[in-house]
Amino acid sequence: MDTTIKQSLKEIVGAENFTDSLIDLIAYSKDASEHRHRPDAAVWPVNTGQVSAIMKLASREKLPIVPRGAGTSLAGLAVPEQGGIILDLGRMDKIIDINIEDRLAVVQPGVVYADLDRALSPHGFFFPPDPASGSVCTLGGNVATNAGGIKGAKYGTTKDYVLALEVVLPDGRILHTGSKCMKSVSGYDLTRLFVGSEGTLGVVTEITFKINPKPPLVSTSMANFETLEDAGRAVSEIMYSGIIPSALEVIDQQTLIAINQNTDLNLPEVEALLVAETDGYTREETEFQMAKIVSIFKKNNATTTRQADSKEEAEALWTARKSAYGVLARINNNLIVEDLAVPMSKVPDMLRAISELSKKHNLRIPTVGHAGDGNLHPVICFDGTNADEVKRVEEASAELFEKVIELGGTLTGEHGIGLAKVPFMGLEHDEISMDIMRSIKRLFDPNNILNPRKMGLEE
Amino acid sequence: MEGKYEFEKKFRDQVLRCSSCGFCRAVCPVFGLTKRPALNARGKMLILKEVMDGNVDLNDELIETLFQCTNCTSCTAQCPSGVDPPEIIKQVRKDMVHTGSCHPAFEGMNQVLQEHTNIYAEDEPEDFERERNRKAEYVFFIGCVGAYREDEATMATLDLLDHLDVDYTMINEVCCSGVLEDVGFQINQDLAQKNVDLVLSTGAKTVITGCPYCARTFNNKVQYQTLKDKGVEIIHISQFLKDFDLGVKTDKVVTYHDPCDLGRHCGIYEEPRQIIRKIAPNFVELRHNRANALCCGAGGGVRGAYPKNSIDMARRRLEEVEEIGAEIVLTECNSCVHNLKNAKLRAQKFEIFTTTQFLNQLLEEAG
Ligand SMILES: Cc1cc2nc3c(=O)[nH]c(=O)nc-3n(C[C@H](O)[C@H](O)[C@H](O)COP(=O)(O)OP(=O)(O)OC[C@H]3O[C@@H](n4cnc5c(N)ncnc54)[C@H](O)[C@@H]3O)c2cc1C
Repeated sequence: MDTTIKQSLKEIVGAENFTDSLIDLIAYSKDASEHRHRPDAAVWPVNTGQVSAIMKLASREKLPIVPRGAGTSLAGLAVPEQGGIILDLGRMDKIIDINIEDRLAVVQPGVVYADLDRALSPHGFFFPPDPASGSVCTLGGNVATNAGGIKGAKYGTTKDYVLALEVVLPDGRILHTGSKCMKSVSGYDLTRLFVGSEGTLGVVTEITFKINPKPPLVSTSMANFETLEDAGRAVSEIMYSGIIPSALEVIDQQTLIAINQNTDLNLPEVEALLVAETDGYTREETEFQMAKIVSIFKKNNATTTRQADSKEEAEALWTARKSAYGVLARINNNLIVEDLAVPMSKVPDMLRAISELSKKHNLRIPTVGHAGDGNLHPVICFDGTNADEVKRVEEASAELFEKVIELGGTLTGEHGIGLAKVPFMGLEHDEISMDIMRSIKRLFDPNNILNPRKMGLEE
Repeated sequence: MEGKYEFEKKFRDQVLRCSSCGFCRAVCPVFGLTKRPALNARGKMLILKEVMDGNVDLNDELIETLFQCTNCTSCTAQCPSGVDPPEIIKQVRKDMVHTGSCHPAFEGMNQVLQEHTNIYAEDEPEDFERERNRKAEYVFFIGCVGAYREDEATMATLDLLDHLDVDYTMINEVCCSGVLEDVGFQINQDLAQKNVDLVLSTGAKTVITGCPYCARTFNNKVQYQTLKDKGVEIIHISQFLKDFDLGVKTDKVVTYHDPCDLGRHCGIYEEPRQIIRKIAPNFVELRHNRANALCCGAGGGVRGAYPKNSIDMARRRLEEVEEIGAEIVLTECNSCVHNLKNAKLRAQKFEIFTTTQFLNQLLEEAG
């Protein structure tokens, strides 16, 4: 990259907020996926004006710009595939306003999910998506990926809470979308367009979230099923029973085996284990809902069900699900966390298909997921230095996505397309929808400078 | 695969096992301050992967990150993949020193301990008005920071031991030199031997250290193995004091900062709290405590090499003290006390002590 461009960047953000040191370029070459490419430089803007000036410069010079939060993307969204400049928003990390009267929180994009949670908690409020990466991921990243989590079935995902955005467009103009009102149908819904846009349309510099009161009480239970089909039937039946659990998670046999190998939890190595949580304001309310869920578990041949009587017991029941990533991350050197979603009734079919793919390609693919909204995370564990295994991983992934689409599912429930799923976009989206998406991209970003090569937007 | 560097032989699998999830961002004190991903454990592991791939050599360009780790091990405690970055980094620093890339402050530290008996290159030891090197049941080992920088705290500890009628002696101690292993060098065999010999000559069966780092060195390093072989036990002062009831109390709001060297490194969380709860009914925990405690920023040679960041890390820790409105901050490490005190702003009205110093103060006030 030209030294005059570097000089201009330094003038915009100050020398202390610019870097082209080798150590930074390497650190920005990767996110939590397996993709890797170095940028040419990185900047830490501290206000919207600086972001705007950077975008103007980038437009003029046709420089690729990749916005970045915590870099926890699991699909290569934050990797600067074409080099260029990393725009790290981590230093724009102020909570601007918490307005309980209007049920709003206004934040800069670099605020970490958990920090907002901590600030809302004394008011009895929360921002529900609750991604498992919440201790580190940023709210800007959550908006750009439309992050979800275990509370999806009852509380939805990030998109259900974003009311308004300030966005710097690729040409440097500053766009304000939405309003601070709970309802608004005034014009096109530009806010929603940016949610989940993976940093390809604009840089989010301020977010106004709707926040929810947090029900203080929960009931938790766990059930084991000998067959995936029984577990799947239980999930569907719960979801149309009239009760909406605040969480309903599934853990498959391979994951249970891996957990047992690494912990003293001693879980039964059945085909599926379900963990359910109900929430509410009175004990009666949470227990009433849970009783119904437990009866559905039993009706569908759950071999054992356990209900937590205390907070500690509830935590113990959650340990299995929450320890899964750590346990799976230790299985081998590399892991790809997939993120497909299928209609709820298809969860057992999908789990069965994953298990068969694992056998066919001789790969370990333990799976956990948000059964309550049909979002599954098959975790492909492999050794990246073993060329044969890498090839089998690629084959299995391709077959996996074909199956997902055949079942009426979607490539990604919450992690996004990024680089990882570009080859499969055509499976899910026909030419017309790809054409419209590309037109939108061109409208906002005619020079294709914002997070290029992502989402399959390039022909 | 044969690596070019020693760290590859020992830690290749661990470096590869880092899944780049970035969870260390939440806990790394250096990252928390600088918000610079190259400085947290994930950044360091990515850099080491590139070294192992042969794309980058261990050279001066990498000093800023690889020599800027306080060795607090909070990343280790959080890592879902079971990676222990500080252990890897310590080996990498040795490799770097070997290839001629070292932070000048670390080189200086090694130099000083070749020529002097303590890290401050002080030639006049504080005498603490007590006879040394006599036969006694216990040896009290002060440590460099307690001897040369926080001597008031040390004096208070000695007064307390006297008050409790403990039969102890000090020795003509020299730096345990454990820190050299963290900054790319080796323990100084001569210094270690001198400490071992002096301890043994007192006939003591227990060494009580004022410094948790010295306790770790004595307990874990082969150069001090003779002590254990001869049945000498090494404990930290907090372990020694936990069962005493001194009958003094304070109304003040007290909190406790877990030193990394005592907490995460030795798993000692309860003993200090046991002591403090007896004297302070108004005890409040800091937001990050026990295994999650936030480092004061002094360790791993960072105070010497990156003094500004070190102090600013301590400031972040002190913000947590303000958050809970504590009036007294107690800790069990002179090095933490030293850094935290240096970082304290005039507007911050709380006071910082070692637990023993505070105990002694209460005793003196009670007459
Ligand atoms: C162990 C683990 C568990 C996870 N669990 C979940 C989970 O439960 N649910 C879930 O949804 N995800 C999960 N994720 C994925 C990831 O944490 C989310 O996608 C998260 O929203 C990414 O946030 P980030 O700050 O890390 O963004 P990054 O990874 O830095 O960036 C992600 C994308 O957002 C864009 N972006 C970031 N900030 C901005 C901005 N201000 N303006 C415009 N674009 C921007 C980037 O360009 C990129 O395209 C998990 C990841 C890991 C490693």
